[in-house]
This record gives sequence, C-alpha cells and structure tokens, in this order.
Amino acid sequence: MKRMVATKSLMLLLLTLMMLAVAACGQDQAGSDQQQQTEANGEKGTVTVGGKDFTEQHLLSKITSIYLKEKGYDVKEASNMGSSVVRSALENGQIDMYWEYTGTALVIYQKQAVETDPDVAYEKVKEKDKENNLAWLNKANFNNTYAILMRQDKAEELGIKSITDLANYVNANPTALKFASNAEFYARQDGIKGLEKHYGFTFPAENVVKMDSGLLYNALKEKQVDVSVGFATDGRIEGFNLVALEDDKNFFPAYNGAPVVRQEVIDKYPEIADLLNQIADRLDTETMMKLNYSVDVEHKDVAEVAREWLVSQQLIE
Amino acid sequence: MRSKHVERVIRALLFLLVIAFFAWAYVSGAFQFILDNPDDLIYLTQQHLKLVGLSSLFAVIVAVPLGILVTRPRFKKYDWIAINLANIGQTVPSLAILALVMTYLGIGYVTAVFALWLYSLLPILRNTIAGIENINKSIIDAGQGMGMTESQILWKLELPNALFAILAGIRTSIVINVGTAALAFLIGGGGLGDLIFTGISLYDTGIMLAGALPVTVLAITLDFVLGKLEKWIIPKGLQRNLESL
Repeated sequence: MKRMVATKSLMLLLLTLMMLAVAACGQDQAGSDQQQQTEANGEKGTVTVGGKDFTEQHLLSKITSIYLKEKGYDVKEASNMGSSVVRSALENGQIDMYWEYTGTALVIYQKQAVETDPDVAYEKVKEKDKENNLAWLNKANFNNTYAILMRQDKAEELGIKSITDLANYVNANPTALKFASNAEFYARQDGIKGLEKHYGFTFPAENVVKMDSGLLYNALKEKQVDVSVGFATDGRIEGFNLVALEDDKNFFPAYNGAPVVRQEVIDKYPEIADLLNQIADRLDTETMMKLNYSVDVEHKDVAEVAREWLVSQQLIE
Repeated sequence: MRSKHVERVIRALLFLLVIAFFAWAYVSGAFQFILDNPDDLIYLTQQHLKLVGLSSLFAVIVAVPLGILVTRPRFKKYDWIAINLANIGQTVPSLAILALVMTYLGIGYVTAVFALWLYSLLPILRNTIAGIENINKSIIDAGQGMGMTESQILWKLELPNALFAILAGIRTSIVINVGTAALAFLIGGGGLGDLIFTGISLYDTGIMLAGALPVTVLAITLDFVLGKLEKWIIPKGLQRNLESL
C-alpha cells in the first residue's frame, strides 16, 4: 500500500514535469517573439497585425510584423484565429490588417458568386469592401486554391497531367484509383460534386476515403490513396514529391492572397500601403510553397523563415 | 421520502428539456438532413457499430485474462506496474492515440479498430485488477482453509466476487468507446464522425445533429442493455449494491 502511494506520487511528479516542459516550450516561442518586440522603437505609431490559424498565415503575418517593426512601427500581433473571427476583428477595429484570400472574401463574407479568374475576383472584392471601409492592397501572385494531387511517379506512369486526363482515366477504370478528401470538400457543392459534374466523371463512393485535412498529404505519400484534394501552396506538395493536376477547365475559384487594411489606418499612416505592397509584389505561388515547405517539412521556426526571406529580398538588413 | 420526490421533479424537468430540444430542432429544420438521407445514416451507423463492436470485443478478450494474470500470486509483486500503466494510458487523449497508431499502421478502418481497442483495454484492465484485489481477504483465507486449489479459488471465489467490478469496467469502456469511435473518421475509418465533422466544417447544425444524435442514442441504449445484462449475469447472492446504480 505504501509503495502504491509512493509510485502514485512519483507518477504525478513525472506528469507535472511533462506539463511544465510543454509549457516551457510555449514560453520559448513567446520568448523569441519578445526579443523582436524589443527591437522595435515604435516611433511612428502602433498597429495590430492579425492572422489565421495555418502555416501560410503564420508566415504572412510574421513577415508583415517584422517588416513594419524594422520600419519603425510598434507592432502588436494577434494570430491563430479562424477565418470568420479574424474578419470580424478587422471590421470591429480590434486588428488593423491581415492577409485575406480573394475567393474566401467573395463567397464567404460578401456572399457573391464563385469566380475563377483571379483579376476579376480581386476587382470584385476590392470594390465591394470599399463600402466596409476596408482597403485591399496589391494582389499577390500566389493562389492558394484547391488542388487535385497525385504522386509524381504514379501520375507519370498513368500519363495524367490535367484533371481532364484524370476524368478520362477514371471513366475508363472506375475502381482503379482511391481518392482522399476532407469533410468539407466532399460535402460542398463547389467541392467534389461540382468538380465531377464540371469534368464529367464520378469517383465511386466506395473508393473515396474521408479524413482530416492535415492527413491528406501523408495518406497520398504513404500510398494509402492515389488521388487527393489539397491546397495549392502547401509545402508538402513539393516535399512529398506530389504533383498538382492542371485545372484545365478552370473549375476552382481563385484564392489570391492580399493584405487587407482598415481605411482609417491607411489614412493615418499612408506609408503602410506602400510597405505592404512591397511584400505583396514579391510573393508568388512558388515562393509561398518554399516558405511553407521550410516550416511544414523542415520544421523551421516561422519567425526565422520570415526574417530570412525579408533579408533575401533586401527589404531589411 | 423527500429525496424521492425531488428526484421525480428533476427527472420530469430533464425529460421536458429533452423534448423541448427535439421540438426546437425539428422546427428549425435541423432534422431535414436525417429525413433526406436515411440511407447514408443507416450505412454510417452500421459502420460505427462495427468499429465499436470489434474493438470492444477484442478489448474484453485481452484485458480480462490480462487482469487475472497480473493478480496471480506469482505476479502479485508487479501488479502495481500494470495498474500505473493503465492509469497513465488513460490520461493520453484518444486523438493522440489515433495519431500515433496511424504513423505505424497507415490510415483506414483497421487502424481505427486497433486504436479503439487500445483505448478500450485500459478501463477493463483497471477494473478487473481492482475487483480481484479488493475482495475481502478472509474469503480467500477461508477457501485456502477448505483446501481449495488455486484454480478453484479463482473460479469459485475470486471471479464471482469480482464480476461486478469487471462488468462495470466493460460497460464503461464500451460506452466511452461509442463516443471515441466518432474520431475514427479523422483517419479515414468512417463511422458517424463523418457527419459530425462535416457538420462542423460546413457550420451546418443539421448535418452535425445527424451524426451526434445517433451516437448519443447508441451510447444510452448500450448502457441500458449492458446494465440489464449485468443483473442477469451476476449471481443473485452477490448483487449487493446493484440497486444503487
């Protein structure tokens, strides 16, 4: 009995230590942010940069924050929010700017029709958001749209380059390929159902495996499935030797990233528009994939990757 | 007397709440999805039941003998290891177990069953060990005094007396398993989690309820059936505190 108590308390101690260790890791993260905070002298004014809850967004908000700090602004960071949360925060003035995607703003916030042409989509959201006193700055040249992915070797072996090729192949061999999808893409009208209709083919239901978004790439890499949906700028596409099939009949909407800033803030600090456009003009799909790759596949620190990129672009010393 | 009265009132209130919830859900069209897609629902419910059934069955087959084994005199010294392992295992989130198993077994149905089996083992193991250990020492002494062999002591004294705890462990484990099995969807294992997670990602209450309601009903039904089964299996002479449950 005595020993039981001793062991129990030992276990408790171990658990506590583990929790402390985990907490400490979190602290480290905060610590490195703190360090950058001190570099700022904040002589020009204070701005708050927001961000959503996935790697690409962490990178974009970090790049923006570091750059503005170097240019003499005092920057507060509010990252890791869900899409609708970050948008509300901007509308309420709790944050001053963040990076949004044209397709998301068009369909989700403005309830307009889906648009596959990047320029048209951008003009539409820019125009509509003027009513909300939100300024869309330059559209960056990266498009984080849905992508249909395959393993490079498998795609080559079957001679599949575009979604049309895939549709033809599936029509000829209905049960040959397994398809992985997340819950959302499977259920949405502009998801798998729309895609099948647009390209004129159907994946048999028993050949579709549904899973969490984060596992799609691994399932494909591990040959559990042959085709998967994914996101076009994800670093794991390159990291796992996957290939995104060409959307030759333009089914997927455009999701170009662009900084969105409250008009009030632009009026107060006109320079900020120029600064953010400097960043937006230098980003494209390939760059975004590389940066995501550094974080998702090589497990580098977001702040470090962001800073290195800014230095490589000669935006900061 | 008064407590009985209070109990009745609380029960009635709870029933009213449940009925009110269903009425509200019906009026707000949340059941539309269930009414429109009965086939989907039946298919996924069957899948869910298979996940739970297989994993729980294997868990019982493995955990009960294991619990008996570590309580034998030969291993008595080390049974605290088993208990502590079981306790620690119980604190690992089920999602983490799914993720870990996935790294070795890949995605899909088999992985889901294996992970659920692993997660169901622990409550059964813990209760089996505790049930056997907590038997009044004097009963065992009496058995030894009568000249019973070790296997007689196990089958005639230990197991019948520990049965209540063992069955309670199995019941708990299965009911928890019904809920945990909803996570199988995340690793491509199917089941009712499909509807729950689709509902969450589309922000659609109807689809979410179509998954959550059957899971809840399944859990309650199984709990009830297993409770009845307990009464039926446990020897009459040993049904001491069954009434209090």
